Amino acid sequence: MWINMGPQHPMTHGLWNLRVKIDGEVILDCDPEMGYLHRGIEKISEDRHYNEVVTLMDRTCYVAGFAWEHLYILASEDALHIVPPERAEYIRVMCEEFQRIGSHLMWYAAFVQDLGLMTPFLYGMRDRDIVLDLFQSYSGARMTYEYMRVGGVRNDMPPGFSAHARRALDWLSDRFVEYDRLCLGSEIFRKRCDGLGVLKASDCVATGVTGPMLRSAGMRRDVRRDRPYSVYPQLDFEVAVADGADVTGRYLVRMEEMRQSIRIIRQILDWLDHHPGPVLADRLPRWLGAPYAPVGKEDYVLKRNYPKGVGLSSIEEPHGEAQAYVVNEGSEHPYRVKFRSPVFANISAARHYLIGYRVADIPPIMGSVDVCVGEVDR
Amino acid sequence: MQSEDLAKALAPVLGDRILGVEPFAKTAGRLRFRADAALDVFRAVKEDLGFHHLSMVGGIDWVSHREVFYVAWSDRLGQYLLLSTDLPADAPHIESATPVWPSANWHERETWELVDITFDHHPDLRHLLLPDGYVFHPLLRSFKLHEPEELEVKKRSV
Amino acid sequence: MSSATLYSVSYFLVNYVLTHIGSVLPAPLNAWITNGDLVTGLAVLVFGAILLGASMINTIVLIWWERKLLGRFMDRRGAMHVGYAGLLQNFADGFKLFRKNTFRPREADWLGFFSGPTAYLVTSFVIFGILPISSGWNSGVLPLSLLLALAIFSFAPLFIFVSAWSSNNKYSLMGGMRSAAQMIAYEVPLLLAVVAVVIVSGSFDLTTIVYEQQNYWFWGPLFLALVVFVAGMLAEMERIPFDLPEAEAELVEGWNTEYGGMLFAFFMLADYLRALVGSILVVLLFLGGWTMPTWVPSAATSFPLAGIFWFMVKTYLVFGLFVWIRASLPRVRTDQLLRVGWNRMIPLSLCAVFLAAALVLAKCVWPFGCLPSMGV
Repeated sequence: MWINMGPQHPMTHGLWNLRVKIDGEVILDCDPEMGYLHRGIEKISEDRHYNEVVTLMDRTCYVAGFAWEHLYILASEDALHIVPPERAEYIRVMCEEFQRIGSHLMWYAAFVQDLGLMTPFLYGMRDRDIVLDLFQSYSGARMTYEYMRVGGVRNDMPPGFSAHARRALDWLSDRFVEYDRLCLGSEIFRKRCDGLGVLKASDCVATGVTGPMLRSAGMRRDVRRDRPYSVYPQLDFEVAVADGADVTGRYLVRMEEMRQSIRIIRQILDWLDHHPGPVLADRLPRWLGAPYAPVGKEDYVLKRNYPKGVGLSSIEEPHGEAQAYVVNEGSEHPYRVKFRSPVFANISAARHYLIGYRVADIPPIMGSVDVCVGEVDR
Repeated sequence: MQSEDLAKALAPVLGDRILGVEPFAKTAGRLRFRADAALDVFRAVKEDLGFHHLSMVGGIDWVSHREVFYVAWSDRLGQYLLLSTDLPADAPHIESATPVWPSANWHERETWELVDITFDHHPDLRHLLLPDGYVFHPLLRSFKLHEPEELEVKKRSV
Repeated sequence: MSSATLYSVSYFLVNYVLTHIGSVLPAPLNAWITNGDLVTGLAVLVFGAILLGASMINTIVLIWWERKLLGRFMDRRGAMHVGYAGLLQNFADGFKLFRKNTFRPREADWLGFFSGPTAYLVTSFVIFGILPISSGWNSGVLPLSLLLALAIFSFAPLFIFVSAWSSNNKYSLMGGMRSAAQMIAYEVPLLLAVVAVVIVSGSFDLTTIVYEQQNYWFWGPLFLALVVFVAGMLAEMERIPFDLPEAEAELVEGWNTEYGGMLFAFFMLADYLRALVGSILVVLLFLGGWTMPTWVPSAATSFPLAGIFWFMVKTYLVFGLFVWIRASLPRVRTDQLLRVGWNRMIPLSLCAVFLAAALVLAKCVWPFGCLPSMGV
């Protein structure tokens, strides 16, 4: 019997459809159907100025907007041959790490709710709000920030931000103990999650699965460490790994990543306190700040004599390895923008970690994948 | 590994099936290969240089021709590698990379429906992001988001 | 206290009113109106109305109690806006559901679709006609009231399955299957736990069982039976961690996926009615019903309606325990649930039965004391 889990289903956490073939309660086959949230972001980007694409990036993954802004900005700065000031890089990395905490807390909330735990769901959302408050204090928005710019970031931190951020980090690191007690301390939780949705490291590599799913299989691959970008070489942190390759392993990896993010942010706050400076590069091309104007057919003809370039950036997004490929053909719009979404690859491997388990296992397994449909469909 | 080393390492295996290796910022380089030898190149890159992880597949419409690019990651070298090849603008097709990298499956489906590049011997070349039966390929340059002149004409006629 | 039952009270009320009306009427009408059959019929109606009102109000207050308690567990406030501390919120919700259109999917079987929830609600409600609330306020004296209550209680899987099947929805069907399997699996340990109580008290009459607990409440010596009974009740009530039939994560809403409006409200009400029955049964069987231990000052147990008061306090505390469990445990999986049910709960409940038999043979157990007369 084929059943459609989605596009409107509590398990999906977004808008997609998981078609499952079941025999009784056992899964025989599955076929994810994506595209319900396809907005053509790559196409729209061809028609926007470089800085305007940042707006779209917030909407690519709505729970990890900063990570996608950072990804796109890194690639387009390479393509445009622009170097941002160092302080801006530190701020961006701080945004990304805070976003990792926010995204993982959102994942935690959704994941435990799939298991029927309502209490940690509200705890996770409560603590994510603290992170969102911090975002709001310097970017003015809680989800769609539009904060990063080609050549830097829009504005510096408000006064007193560092103290507030430290207080938030202290609060959060205490809460993680509570989370672990609520989940790992529960016999039923372990019974539900241990040995579930197993995807071995070799299968992960073959199917392109990255991020916490890969690291839970014991593979220590993290773009932040393997191919350090931005200011990560200056920062001291561990790559979280677990060895179950199962749902519990992914839980452990994400929890440890949040602790490491706190560690990274503390170092960045220390650096920011002692290194004031500009956050936006000077001598940026003037057309970078030009307002949006609809363009006609002559759009694709080169209008500026700006040097051409191509940028490939790769970052460790909360869900895994994300990539952006930006082609600059000398006009004020990117000629082509191509993104690699980690969840896209993680879902494409669904057959490998769903078949053989039970219908009741689908929510925790797909929850442990941490599906963000916005970035799959783009 | 620099792009010259890469070219040296691959030359004995692939010979003239590679058209050259260009330097590319923050990667091992951009390997340009002949489209009809795609599978040999993929296999050589994967087996000999350890590029086991295929990150993404994408296509670019250059109007005069199409480009397909692949990004692969090697744990052994700790580097990304870009592979790219040019295809003719009319009926572009290339061998599917799925036998070498199973992860290419969905990326190629996406590239096929958005950039109209057919991947031969792909196991499951269906629409992924767009609805079934959709005949347009949105990432082609001929697919315009705005038609300002037509819009104005319409406005005037109203 | 007199042995007035709810039925005798309603009979008295109807009789009183009809006699007074009849006294001012001419003779043939008077004779007709004070006719015994009419009085009995009306008394049954009044009895039912009182029971319905009391149980519905209690159910709605129970939902409020759960929402507030759950809110506190989750670091929030629960319902706050309608009425004092949100007391009227559930009435508002009920009214909203009442106003909604009741529809059925085109391919659904209308007979099963409408009769399922109705029968589910009615059977859940009928149990209240059996349960004694306090020494003076039981609804009737039945020698096998416990057996009857449990028999009616176990109708539920049938009606759930009927409504699930007739919804013509795959999720409903799976939920109905799970529900039937789960309820049947947990019926056995539940009844065996009850057998332990029956062995010790020597009676199937709930009033007698309560009076048998005058020396000590059964929860102490029959702790094992209590644990089995509470776990079985959780499964029967389909509450977390045993709410797989309506596991919203994978089955949308399980067997009531296709229901909306008042039919959905029927299911909600019946679920909470069953939760109320479950809590009441725990109180009656293990927590001494409306009686209080002798060390409680007599001022606290002798005011009017003290029995009902303490009974309600205990019931709500027991339900609070269920809410606590819901707030802190994840949902188990079907195969795990059934394995625990058949492999663990039944042996445990058999142990409880043997312990109860040993208790009867020993007659007196330190520190609890002695059994009262065996009631035979």
